[in-house]
Amino acid sequence: MPDEEILEEGVLNPVKPEIQDPLLRALIADEPVKEMAPVDIPLEQPQAIPTAGDEVDCLVIGLGAGGAPLLARLAMAGLKVMALEAGPWHQPATDFATDEKAQDFLFWNDERLCAGADPLAMGKNNSGTGVGGSTLHYTAYTPRPLPDDLHVRRDFGQGEDWPFGYEELEPYYEELEQFLGISGPTPYPWGPARRKGYPLAPLPLNSAAQLMVRGCEMLGITTSPAANAALSARYYQEGVGWREACTNRGFCQAGCSNGAKASMDVTFIPLAVKYGAKIQPNSFVTEIERDAQGRITGVVYTQNGEQRRQRCRNLFLCSGSVETPRLLLLNELALTSGQVGKNLMAHPGVQVFGTFGEATRPHKGIPGSLISQDTHRPKDADFVGGYLLQSIGIMPVTFAGQVARGRKYWGQQLRDYMKNYNHVAGINILGDCLPHADNYMELADEKDARGLPKPRLHFTMQENERRMNDHAEALMRRIWTAAGATDIWSFPRMAHVIGTARMGLSGDDAVVDANGRAFDVPNLYICDNSTFPSALSVNPALTIMALSLRTADKFLESQQRRDV
Amino acid sequence: MSVPTYPSGSVRALLATEHVSEATRAALQNRLDAPAAYEPQFLAPETFALLEAVAGRLFPQPDRPERPIPLAPAVDQRLAEGRADGWRYDALPPDREALRMGLGGIQEIAQALFQADFMALSAEQQDSTLQSLADGTPPGTTWETLDAGRFFEELLAELTETYYAHPLAQEEIGYVGMADLPAWTKIGLNEKEEREPSQVGG
Repeated sequence: MPDEEILEEGVLNPVKPEIQDPLLRALIADEPVKEMAPVDIPLEQPQAIPTAGDEVDCLVIGLGAGGAPLLARLAMAGLKVMALEAGPWHQPATDFATDEKAQDFLFWNDERLCAGADPLAMGKNNSGTGVGGSTLHYTAYTPRPLPDDLHVRRDFGQGEDWPFGYEELEPYYEELEQFLGISGPTPYPWGPARRKGYPLAPLPLNSAAQLMVRGCEMLGITTSPAANAALSARYYQEGVGWREACTNRGFCQAGCSNGAKASMDVTFIPLAVKYGAKIQPNSFVTEIERDAQGRITGVVYTQNGEQRRQRCRNLFLCSGSVETPRLLLLNELALTSGQVGKNLMAHPGVQVFGTFGEATRPHKGIPGSLISQDTHRPKDADFVGGYLLQSIGIMPVTFAGQVARGRKYWGQQLRDYMKNYNHVAGINILGDCLPHADNYMELADEKDARGLPKPRLHFTMQENERRMNDHAEALMRRIWTAAGATDIWSFPRMAHVIGTARMGLSGDDAVVDANGRAFDVPNLYICDNSTFPSALSVNPALTIMALSLRTADKFLESQQRRDV
Repeated sequence: MSVPTYPSGSVRALLATEHVSEATRAALQNRLDAPAAYEPQFLAPETFALLEAVAGRLFPQPDRPERPIPLAPAVDQRLAEGRADGWRYDALPPDREALRMGLGGIQEIAQALFQADFMALSAEQQDSTLQSLADGTPPGTTWETLDAGRFFEELLAELTETYYAHPLAQEEIGYVGMADLPAWTKIGLNEKEEREPSQVGG
């Protein structure tokens, strides 16, 4: 049992005293326990932590792809819902600059410690903060997984299967594509036939996409304009209004300033607000409180330097694959499976760049303009699973940083190479990843500015990821050579952090059930990339949103019935 | 292939136009207007001078003898404010400690290779010192506890990102992506809007 400290009568708080705010600790110590009754505290009576407003039906922590869709769904069902988001609420039209450095505020910049033989780059690569979460800077590349992505174990005897099949997610993919206004090809060349096509035509191909078409044609590889959650035409969105078309800024990864990209702040969040959801930005949750029966009663958070308490009947933890397990570990919550923080996965995402005689000006247009899923299950594979191929646009500061880290150029050599920027183009892959015991997230002894332990992420590419990356790099070098590139080089990279609170059929080896509900805690739901049992061979955002809507529907269903 | 060159002044000319949003203009103008003189906030003056000298070799700017793009101040400011970029190699100590140790370690390499202070070395000797660091196994007791390869990578990446965020560096590589209003319509191979610069002689 964890050390327990009684904060309120009937409310147990297992967070270890050393991680708490000293002022708060002093206040709590001075406070006679019996004066801290859990209900109806008159305002004039001194309290350790003010309770902000009334109890809500559903409290959501984190407003990215996991939290925002379910917030809207629950609000539309008439429930009293509130969301706490660690970061601020931006006004993209006026606040967002077309400048990579100025946009650094979109990333989770508190330090994560990255360990293992292949440490995962975080910050701008794999994190987000603000109302909208990492969708504020996602590339909006939104392919659906293929059905067998959910059954790697069934097909290969390794990895993990999802507790349900593709057919469970399919209606949500369709709903999301229509609601968000995803631009893509109809019919889609890979996977099962679809009931509905994409609502908008694909975005125009940029230089890198044109070059990838050229190279792939010579090698007999099928390509297609990709599905992207950015509008190729003005689009009327239910509950939100008109959103303007993409202007080809190419700055998706540094924030969209005109609302063309379907980040959560221009889609599900306004919808949620319209139906009465309350949003609390700048609210960092530290403690999750529960009663003697283990039911969650509320959370303690810091907003603008002040500690507050929000009480709730149900909690939806949607904070991503680092902060979700961190909160669970800090609060010693839902840990009986032993899987919290385990099964950390990241997509193999090796990039290949080359220099072309033609001008490419690689910062223009939707970055992930083209796709091929011919490599989903390659015939000559010496590995489990597969990957997709993608053309990539790249902004100059990001590119320069990768040249420094990847090519180890410096001095005049670096300056000379960077003068080729307008002639550079890249392609990359996104591949499946198997869970491994060496890859996990834990709390470090080192504390952050809040006095909380920093997360430490251990990641080492295993044989399967290495073989996949090697296969992909060789293929991409052939594609780029065929397209006419010179000075070809590769940048080894892993993208997306997945799987630290896995979903499964049993509480013996999973943290949440197939509906996202924690096995250990009846009124706790988790919904973000941490619950993915396997990494899938596609970008995760669309599936996180699909899970979010599905979790909300399953929750609402359970509220209608007395037997679940 | 010869190295492309672009006309000077492209970004600065566009900043005043309606192709650049207010937020974008503010960010870039701020970098252009940064005063030449900088008083270090975190590092001791002599340590800051060493960082400047190292930055001067990692990004030699013989073409800007009067006023190079400032690189060391961004590092000093970040450390003074305690800002991070979201992650750190677990192999390295906290940023402030790593930089102090690493700069001391660079002096150790200079002493081991040339029996002199880094600042007293010729440009070629300074480059050899830094190449020894970049190669990952430099001499010196510092590097028994500080991972040389990771330290060099982190320092170089931060200076590089600072350099290419500057409007003058962006002019140098022919980048005018900040002038994105109202839209880019010519985004394919060899396509270019009128406001985008052409290569000199190209």
